[in-house]
Amino acid sequence: MTTITKRSFLKTGLCAGIGAGAGMYWGAASAQKAASLSMTSWGSPAEVAAFNALIEQYKARNPNVAIKLEVVPSGQYYQQLDTRFAGKQAPDIFRAQYQRIGRYGQSGAAIDLSQYLDAGFGQDFLPSVWRASTFRGKPHALPHHTDTFALFYNAEIFEKLGIEAPRSLDKSWSWQEFISAAKLVKEKAGLNYAFAMNWQNSNAYRWLMYLYQHGGQLLDNELKGPQINTKEAAETVAWTQSWFTDGLVPPNTSLKSSEPVQNLFATGKIAMLLHGDWQIPFIQDQAKFKWGVTYLPRDVAMAADLGGNALAVSRDSKSPDVAADFVKFMVEEEPMRAFVTKAQFLPVRKSLKDKGLVYDIRNEEMKVFLEQSATVPEHLVSTIVMPTWDRFNAKLADELELAFTSGQSPAATVANIEKHVRSTLLV
Amino acid sequence: MAIAENLRGPAVGRPSAADARRYWLQARRNQLTPYLFIAPNMALFSVFVFFPLLYAFYISLREWSLIDTPRYIGLENYARLAHDALFWQSLSNTAIYSFATVPMSLAIGLVLAIALNRDLLGRTLLRSVFFLPVVISNVATAVIAAWLFNDNYGVINTLLQQIGIGPVAWLSSPRWALFSLIVTSLWVRIGFCMVVYLAALQSISPTYYDAAQMDGASRWQQFRFVTWPLLRPATFLLLILGVIHSFQVFDLIYVMTGGGPGFSTTMIVQYIYQAAFVGSEMGYASAMGMVLFVMILIFTLLQWRGNRRVEDVA
Repeated sequence: MTTITKRSFLKTGLCAGIGAGAGMYWGAASAQKAASLSMTSWGSPAEVAAFNALIEQYKARNPNVAIKLEVVPSGQYYQQLDTRFAGKQAPDIFRAQYQRIGRYGQSGAAIDLSQYLDAGFGQDFLPSVWRASTFRGKPHALPHHTDTFALFYNAEIFEKLGIEAPRSLDKSWSWQEFISAAKLVKEKAGLNYAFAMNWQNSNAYRWLMYLYQHGGQLLDNELKGPQINTKEAAETVAWTQSWFTDGLVPPNTSLKSSEPVQNLFATGKIAMLLHGDWQIPFIQDQAKFKWGVTYLPRDVAMAADLGGNALAVSRDSKSPDVAADFVKFMVEEEPMRAFVTKAQFLPVRKSLKDKGLVYDIRNEEMKVFLEQSATVPEHLVSTIVMPTWDRFNAKLADELELAFTSGQSPAATVANIEKHVRSTLLV
Repeated sequence: MAIAENLRGPAVGRPSAADARRYWLQARRNQLTPYLFIAPNMALFSVFVFFPLLYAFYISLREWSLIDTPRYIGLENYARLAHDALFWQSLSNTAIYSFATVPMSLAIGLVLAIALNRDLLGRTLLRSVFFLPVVISNVATAVIAAWLFNDNYGVINTLLQQIGIGPVAWLSSPRWALFSLIVTSLWVRIGFCMVVYLAALQSISPTYYDAAQMDGASRWQQFRFVTWPLLRPATFLLLILGVIHSFQVFDLIYVMTGGGPGFSTTMIVQYIYQAAFVGSEMGYASAMGMVLFVMILIFTLLQWRGNRRVEDVA
């Protein structure tokens, strides 16, 4: 099979503009009106490089359009973006997590893109992310990529201890098997801690995948009332709390910590890491040992986290039509392929998923993430795209943090979360 | 004097209308000049202090997520404050932090100032070393401190483990996190206290000590009855500045603990930040900001009155 790597694709696009991979898009040359656009995003070096390469391609196609990428550290990203909205100086195009689109759509900060899209434009996108990019049925952003979680492991330690990582999704570890492996690592590998989870920096919502794995959910089926004050939810809190009380995870990897957990894994301080696919380039560069990726543990159900981002056009844009055209270009099949294969993300177009992708690095591990992404529960997606999610997310982080570090009981934790659901999420 | 004479006008007869106008203009100009001098400062102050303060009050009466239109809700945000356990906990954390850092930074700063006020080998170098954290950005200091205190690979735990202690969860245990922050704050603030005390010590005339020695005063008595009373203005200044600083502490905590674990290091400004930029509740955050403003205003008035009293005594 002939494969277009990200380098060859980008080179082709840059130099000739009519390369085989980009052929369909480039074939339909358009004369864009003059505009100077700004786009804001956070991102790893690989993501920034991928964005810039695609911006150059778009500019080569539309010489009248100038686009400047502004990269903001992820910790301050939304704070800075919202402040710019308050000052009516938001960038023309902004990247946002799916969980935030509802809020930007509700406030009108992200414009309705329907007017720029042909009928049926959303049909090739995965239904979950297309829905996550809409507010009241109207697209207020276009899905750009997705990502999910899996389990990174130190293959050398696993080999030494005779631990075999699951090789297929249907053979993924149960919660008990995962904890047994973690305890074995802690006892026999000479490490202080076995694993860590990436849920710091306002990413508390990632805890929900464990809730769904255990048969629980945050809201009822109609999304009208809380369903968190249940035995399943309390047990999920207790299970994740036990990671800390049993000393399986470093205590400074709770939700409010600023500890970069990928460093702990890459430096060999822990043997397993629950993290996303975009972390592969960093671990590839930094880890000096053999490592692999396997599936998330499961309980009564499999479930993974819905990650990823969409691109939106701001209400402050002076050229919203040009900005929308650029966003449409970014989510076309070939630019999307270039971005996800370079920055290690998962595509959100069904056609790309069907055709298959070849990643520059760790292609086999990316297949694990791709398979795992199929286990994101639809109900979880509907829950986290609610317009007030980010306000609730902060409260969720507070309560889980109290359970993990300050001894708050699981029963009190789910009762408090239920209270926040009523007062914050369902307002 | 000349102006006063001019204003009185000629000694004999009524001033002409032209003279009267000239005198009036001169008087007006004299009254206006000071205002012209302070105008630039007042303009800057208005733009960067008065207007934001009034705007913060305006926002505190509203519900606003920063990206939508503010909605008037009256005093609801203030009423909510009264029942918000986290607000009271953050105030309590701030008070504990202040009571721990302010007296200790003053005491250690004073001891260092007295030690470095004498002929001592490497005195200048030592003064610079202690003052260095004051001139370094708080964020940089916090990053260094976070590395030192890191549970997993921090220098402190590495050293402790070599002598068979720990590791201690310096930043991830509610028991130790506030302690670690207090130690870091002291590291930063004793340098400032030391320099202020050093300046105050060097302004005390040696004749007082000569007289005390002639009267047979011991070193302790010289400190007790000469140095300490004369350092009172500096102490008072440092006390008030220290309390205000403690109430405004943010960057150290933001970098080192993020207000956690739990809420054990959540101070009032941290909570304001959380409400504004994490919870998107600008109105509520502004209401807390107004309460903090009133508290700092009270301390500032205390400083003003205290200074006046000390000056009156002097």
